[in-house]
Amino acid sequence: MKPETIKHTRRHLRIAGAVALVLGMAGTTPAVAAQDPGREVIDKKCASCHLEDGKLTRIPEVRKTPEGWDMTVVRMGIWHKVELTPDERRAVVKYLADRQGLAPSEAAAFRFLTERRPNMQDAPPDEEMAQMCGRCHSYGRVALQRRDEDEWRKLMHTHLGQFPSAEYSALGRDRNWWEIARDKMPGRLAEMYPKNTDAWRDWSRAKHRPAAGRWIVAGERPGWGAYTGTMTVTAKGSDRYEVGYELHFGPGNTVRGKGESLVYTGYEWRGTAQLGNEQTQSIFALSEDGARMSGRWFLRKADEIGATFEAVRADKAAKNALVSVSPQMLRAGETATVTVAGAGLDAKLDLGSGVEVVEWLGKSAEQLKVRVKVAADAAPGVRKVAVGGRASDKSVAVYRQIDSLRVEPAFGIARVGGGTNPPVTAQFDAVAFLDGADGKPGTDDDVRLGSVPAKWSTEPFDERAKHDEDLKFAGHMEPHGQFLPSFAGPNPNRRGLNNVGNLSVVATVADGERSLNAKGQLVVTVQRWNPTPLR
Amino acid sequence: MKRLRALNHKAHLIEQAVHDGHREEVQLMSSVVGCTTTFDPGWEVDAFGGLASLCQPMEADLYGCTDPCWWPAQLADSLNTARDWTDGKNSALRDWRELQTLFPGD
Repeated sequence: MKPETIKHTRRHLRIAGAVALVLGMAGTTPAVAAQDPGREVIDKKCASCHLEDGKLTRIPEVRKTPEGWDMTVVRMGIWHKVELTPDERRAVVKYLADRQGLAPSEAAAFRFLTERRPNMQDAPPDEEMAQMCGRCHSYGRVALQRRDEDEWRKLMHTHLGQFPSAEYSALGRDRNWWEIARDKMPGRLAEMYPKNTDAWRDWSRAKHRPAAGRWIVAGERPGWGAYTGTMTVTAKGSDRYEVGYELHFGPGNTVRGKGESLVYTGYEWRGTAQLGNEQTQSIFALSEDGARMSGRWFLRKADEIGATFEAVRADKAAKNALVSVSPQMLRAGETATVTVAGAGLDAKLDLGSGVEVVEWLGKSAEQLKVRVKVAADAAPGVRKVAVGGRASDKSVAVYRQIDSLRVEPAFGIARVGGGTNPPVTAQFDAVAFLDGADGKPGTDDDVRLGSVPAKWSTEPFDERAKHDEDLKFAGHMEPHGQFLPSFAGPNPNRRGLNNVGNLSVVATVADGERSLNAKGQLVVTVQRWNPTPLR
Repeated sequence: MKRLRALNHKAHLIEQAVHDGHREEVQLMSSVVGCTTTFDPGWEVDAFGGLASLCQPMEADLYGCTDPCWWPAQLADSLNTARDWTDGKNSALRDWRELQTLFPGD
């Protein structure tokens, strides 16, 4: 062996030992520790730079979601040319997310970001945080990290060094932004999002229930409607599973599929599956007791197209655990068929005052199906659904007429597509409301009834859009409320424009003899070349 | 604003908004998660929630954004992060189809 090689090998051994100590693995024998491929990546690749005086630097000082760690690992590849195979990338993200992740309660408020829900409004806690962090990327990207003050300060330095234009975005032309960023923000952030918390201490020490088993699932895919079904999860190694799905969207529309998943941090389910003819990705969270799961699944190549997901574990312990009630809107004076899905259901159903079960159409532990008669004088409003005498968080709403209609999202984004960027579509829903106690639409006490079928159209949003003929160029609306944007690139027919557009999205809903309208705004805008999982 | 005079359409839009009392609305507008809210002039939407104040067509000014790291969360930042992003693609108006997305799939 050449002297250089010996020296190199010794250095690697020293690094491996130091990493074992720093990551709190002192009680683990080196032979066992070496078996974790994520740990090997840290020893062989990360520690080449992140080592100072025998101690690993930066890496042990941060906690993040699996997506947060993945973005860090990818950034190391882009900035510092760290070369990882796809397997190494997955392994190191798993290793770090398991040991330095977020407790469920710490990640809960920003699940909409983790789940890539489209057209959500960002929600910084105050103007200072919005100005300093939320002008380039979502505020949630910050709130899904945990660091101490010194480490938050290093993040400020990294931003200044790597993205000098942060100065302008952080309003550097109007104030001494760097003093605020360097001296004030790290303390604020460490107070809000500290590295050491009781929640993480308790979660990281606790044992977590594996996901294997049979689950009753339900959700809603905008444009398709509600579904119920089953998910069968089979363990295939530590935190790895094979998954089978059967989803019933309605008569004649059953989607079956198979896939696999990996659970990070004891609860962060990340899966892929082929559902019908679609390649999908799932981002779910197991509840802390492991009895429920919730999240969103979406198309792998178009994450804005997807469905909500909720599941209850169908085992012996399940007792009247509901996952869905459908339909959620019942008109006074009419009869309807109501289906309740869940686990461990008793054939005893209470849908609230004025809603009488007149016939049982099906009774099983996983589904109750009844015909109900809604009294003509039933009071409009929401009723909690109870099964087996046990109240649930599910509800049905009784209405005489739809008082008002809203388009959701009220403000949506679509992006033109072409080149390496697929188009980003926008899905709209028409949602019916009751006026509530004040008898006025558009106020806080309005009662949400649910999504209703609508006819969709688009109009120019303003005079400028009319002048530029945005309606003609920006794309078109499908019958189920999905807007398909046009192709990217400058359009020679538009006098210096590409196919962007500013449109009003109009939903028209028939309610008996009445017709209701509502409008939302759709901006068909340009591509994004940086499609990070957290945006 | 007394010493400044609006010359083009975008400047007139801003003057008109201030004149009509919409200054606060503009400042308070939040955007869709992931879209920039640095409205200078904005990448996806402008300060008025529309498109009229953005650079149009986008391709005409794309490299004017990426070279000085103007929208690093949305675009390539060819100052530091993706220095070779435009290599061999000298005209965004002509070569935009060849520009690669930055985050590798898993």
